[in-house]
Amino acid sequence: MAQPQGLLFSKEHEWASVDGDRATIGITDYAQNSLGDIVYVELPKVGSTISQFSNVGVIESVKAVSDLYTPLSGEVMEINGALENDPSAVNRDPYGEGWLFKLRLSGADEQSALLSAGEYEKIATE
Amino acid sequence: MPIQYSSILKEHDAVRHRAGLFDLSHMGQFWLTGEGVPQWADTLTTNAVATMKPWQARYNIFCNDAGGAHDDTIFYRVGERWLLVVNASNAAKMWEHLNAHLPRDGVALRNDHGRAALIAIQGPRSVEILRPHVDVDIAALRYYFCTEGNVDGVPAIIARTGYTGEDGFELFVAGEAAPELWRKLLRDGGNAGLEPCGLGARDVLRLEAGMPLYGHELTEEITPVQAGQSWALKLNKPEFIGKTALAQQLERDDFSRIVGLVMQGRAPAREGYRVTRDGAAVGEVRSGSIAPSVGNKHIATALVERSAATPGTAVEVQIRGAAHGANVVPLPFYKREK
Repeated sequence: MAQPQGLLFSKEHEWASVDGDRATIGITDYAQNSLGDIVYVELPKVGSTISQFSNVGVIESVKAVSDLYTPLSGEVMEINGALENDPSAVNRDPYGEGWLFKLRLSGADEQSALLSAGEYEKIATE
Repeated sequence: MPIQYSSILKEHDAVRHRAGLFDLSHMGQFWLTGEGVPQWADTLTTNAVATMKPWQARYNIFCNDAGGAHDDTIFYRVGERWLLVVNASNAAKMWEHLNAHLPRDGVALRNDHGRAALIAIQGPRSVEILRPHVDVDIAALRYYFCTEGNVDGVPAIIARTGYTGEDGFELFVAGEAAPELWRKLLRDGGNAGLEPCGLGARDVLRLEAGMPLYGHELTEEITPVQAGQSWALKLNKPEFIGKTALAQQLERDDFSRIVGLVMQGRAPAREGYRVTRDGAAVGEVRSGSIAPSVGNKHIATALVERSAATPGTAVEVQIRGAAHGANVVPLPFYKREK
């Protein structure tokens, strides 16, 4: 799957869709495919403040526990509650219904540390 | 054998509802021959070998002097010879163990580990899929029995055994014949839903079916008695390695033991996580997985103190610093409808 244009990507395989001072965060198709069947997602708490590239939760597949990092800093405004009962949405539609959480951005100049779709593609296909 | 070919959950579904094909050629295969085999093997194992009928298969455990499990295995009585299938990770250790206890005469050993192949077909459609490929009546083959036959012209030992909780067969064939046989079975079985399955699905299937996995529910420290495998313990045999320790353990009945856990919430329990009861440590998780055949709940086995081992007991699994509720349940978690 080609990476959707217009998103920003981290080297830890998260994506961010930035709209003004808000951003939606998820993991990439490459990440979900590497993890395999996802069975549990532990997300940051709504209202908590998280900082760029810090560990904010876990994603568990049948076989493995993986840390989740945030590609941007901000206050957690909303989490995808539907994933509690249906974590496989992350496998099915990582850029859509499998989104993880939404942030009100607080960091300045952070987006320059992220990758474009083309730059990320190189990492994911290495 | 890879962890998965497509997806662990998809492969699991194939085995429970259609059929899956497993490449188990990594397992150790030892041939034991000679008139002394049954009596000798009975001195090394917990279950009886000498009482096995021709063509019968039987689960058996080798123990150390303290009663801990050295390996859990299956003996196949192939006519007048014996095929012993051991865990891949224990194959070297077991070969050494057998040779160290080899009598002066009456028993000969051959190690086929790495040369002989083993292909398993498991699932409710196994008979239907395998039947056109074989020249023996596999539908009439009883559970835990084996026969000799040809699979697509390849000489094989065909056993009605497995490690998934479903009906199925294990095919012992020469290594060089295996790749072509694997491809043929998959090609012809595809229409009936046969899929290649990996170690990941195998682990979920065996855990749901309550079968121990060496290194998890059975180890050099965890005895068959603790692992709930006392059914495979024949204390009426005159003498075998570990017998005294195991008999004493059973008698005292004070040991920690393997139980089933069903998580109340959505968080998975994993190997090594601590198990508590009202906050006090009572044991640790030995295996854990999501269980599609148990209502898609997260299940686990845990080694817990006797006081916390009664089904119905409420315990907690400590996951990343938080207590997650779980209930002790009887094993197995899943039993197929027959």
